[in-house]
Amino acid sequence: MAVDASPLPAARRRPLGPATVARGSVPYLLVAPVVVAIVAILGYPLYKLVTLSFQQYGLPELIQRHGEWIGLENYRSVLSDSVFWDTLVRTIVFTAANVALTIVLGTLIALLLLRLSAPVRILLTSGLVLVWSMPAVVAVQVWYWMTNFQNGILNYVLTELGLGDYFQHDWYGSPFSQLAMVTVLIVWGAIPFVTVTVYAGLAQVPRELVEAAQIDGASPLRVFRDVTFPILKPILLILTSLSIIWDFGVFTQPYLLIGASHVDASNYLMGVYVYIEGYAHSEFGRGAAISILMLLIVAVLSVFYVRRMVRMEDVT
Amino acid sequence: MRARIIGAAVLVGAALAVVASTASGGTQAASSITVWLQTDAQATNWEPIVKAANAAFQKDHPGVAVNVQYQTWGNHLQKFDATLAGGSTPDVIEMGNTEMTKYMAAGAFQDLTSEKGSIPNSGTWLEGLAASGRYGGKLYGVPYYAGSRVVTYRTDLFKKAGIKVPTSLAQFTAAAKKLGTQNKQKGFSPVYIAGTDWYVAMGFVYDFGGKIATQVSGKWKGTLASPRAVAGLTAYKNFFNAASKASKTTDESHPNPYTVYAQGLVGSMLGPAWFSCCVGDEYKNATAQFVMPSHTKGSPMPGFLGGSDLAVPIGANKALAVDWIKAYTSNSSMTSLRGIGNIPNTTSLLGNSVNERAAKRSWFVPTAKNWVNVENGNILRNMLSQILTGRLTVKQAAQSASDNIASVLNG
Repeated sequence: MAVDASPLPAARRRPLGPATVARGSVPYLLVAPVVVAIVAILGYPLYKLVTLSFQQYGLPELIQRHGEWIGLENYRSVLSDSVFWDTLVRTIVFTAANVALTIVLGTLIALLLLRLSAPVRILLTSGLVLVWSMPAVVAVQVWYWMTNFQNGILNYVLTELGLGDYFQHDWYGSPFSQLAMVTVLIVWGAIPFVTVTVYAGLAQVPRELVEAAQIDGASPLRVFRDVTFPILKPILLILTSLSIIWDFGVFTQPYLLIGASHVDASNYLMGVYVYIEGYAHSEFGRGAAISILMLLIVAVLSVFYVRRMVRMEDVT
Repeated sequence: MRARIIGAAVLVGAALAVVASTASGGTQAASSITVWLQTDAQATNWEPIVKAANAAFQKDHPGVAVNVQYQTWGNHLQKFDATLAGGSTPDVIEMGNTEMTKYMAAGAFQDLTSEKGSIPNSGTWLEGLAASGRYGGKLYGVPYYAGSRVVTYRTDLFKKAGIKVPTSLAQFTAAAKKLGTQNKQKGFSPVYIAGTDWYVAMGFVYDFGGKIATQVSGKWKGTLASPRAVAGLTAYKNFFNAASKASKTTDESHPNPYTVYAQGLVGSMLGPAWFSCCVGDEYKNATAQFVMPSHTKGSPMPGFLGGSDLAVPIGANKALAVDWIKAYTSNSSMTSLRGIGNIPNTTSLLGNSVNERAAKRSWFVPTAKNWVNVENGNILRNMLSQILTGRLTVKQAAQSASDNIASVLNG
């Protein structure tokens, strides 16, 4: 392609007059308020968090408002604590299960929405939006009542349906069962976001591509794998990353739901662990160190996943 | 991300608190004091006692408003930490007696030693309670009230089964079995105990001569795996299995035992004496209390001596705070508190109620500055649910809890 490039070098050679500088700085001036705001509300607290994590900062220091610099001691003590490692492994498994369930079920419901008649679709969508708008604290309370040991409706219904004797079945009887209950609640709450987003993404899949594949005799599964999925991939990528970040640091649901019997070292997730260590024990420096470690772990998990997906994209 | 949010929340909160304190801090004469009491004192029969104390205080300090703010046990310490960080502490704070040591050790309270003589009944304070307000030979907490644990029971059911008030653990167990065979409703508990109610379970441990932890030359040593403590825990497990249909993993506020009692599903329950408040209209007149019997016939089982102290945080107006405490712990105030079922802070007012008899043999948590971390890390509850669900043997669970407790107390 032949392009006359001569005006460009000419423009570059033009000396930088005050007017040019002023015009050139306009974008920076426009973006400055946002940068200042971000630095103020994210950068500064993050800086304080990092410095806090290098200090002995407990109740006495809080009262004197002066921490003692102890270098990496907080990190050393956290990393040599078996509770930290147990909690980390538990949280990673928990996050993997939650994210997988959320994405798979959310996508399936989005695909279902495509095939439904308009009234049913509107009904289902409204239901999803209602789920979405339910505050987590309220959802926990309702779910706790439903699964209550003494008077829960779930035990009653299961027994009445003849599925066995669920009278006084303890849904919070073991750490696995406790975390499974939390998983149900979190997946239930997270599905609407995934479904609505994927459904919007499905609108981008060209009808004719799908039809062409069908005419060529592709099975529905094949159509999804080779036509729909590649187009949805960027959306699923973002949804997965967001879900990892949310589920890894989740606090409200496990703290309140498991806390209704009791949170302890056998059922901590990272969010609860950092709260107990930092706030309940008034070890703010140690809590800050755990927070920083969590931040790094989430960053690593996300980067790993994003790179993998990008590489897969290159192959296909 | 969560970390950032928490970090941001902390700092924004701290910043706001600092702003607030600089705005309100001044040299003008205090025109109000802030008092933090627990929501227990909000009960309809309790709040008038607070109001009367305020009125008495204001007689000496006309124009000084008393701003009473009611807190919940679950989060009042975190809120208190925030006010310590921001310098906007209340003038008087009610502290649970197990919570005192950590804060006294950290220097959160003002020394009240020189004021002690002027505080009513300070010569006859209940020793068990007064000890929780002393640290390093100084007085930081004024005893407020205590509460012991008793058995609240259905007189009609006991009568129907021909059971007399038991005087030993073996008798009580036999009575529980009898009640169980006579009351066939699903989920009926002859003796309702929430599985992880460690206040009850540790009573068994102390009854069998065990302890939670002891201090050996400056270092804490967990003692729950000792033969005596294990015997106590085993007795607890056996008693629970014979008598309680409550969840083995839940605590004593989910649900409250008296709620199950009010539903007619409980023959008797172990807990604070004030449980009689809330047994429901239907059973109000068929409810009485007795002292939990020991495994040694004729003796009471040691009960947890719960209670509260009143402390004056640093940065508070000490003179006014102490005057308010004097008004609230006066003889008339204590007489009223006793009238609603509490144990008063002074032996001079002690009577012979079931509650007060139960207080005669009591146990208390180790007075270590990190004890409260054992509580909010739920180490004992975890151990009890492991024991009752059979996930671990008594010995294994006790050993693991004992190690954890030692490491937290020495940490």
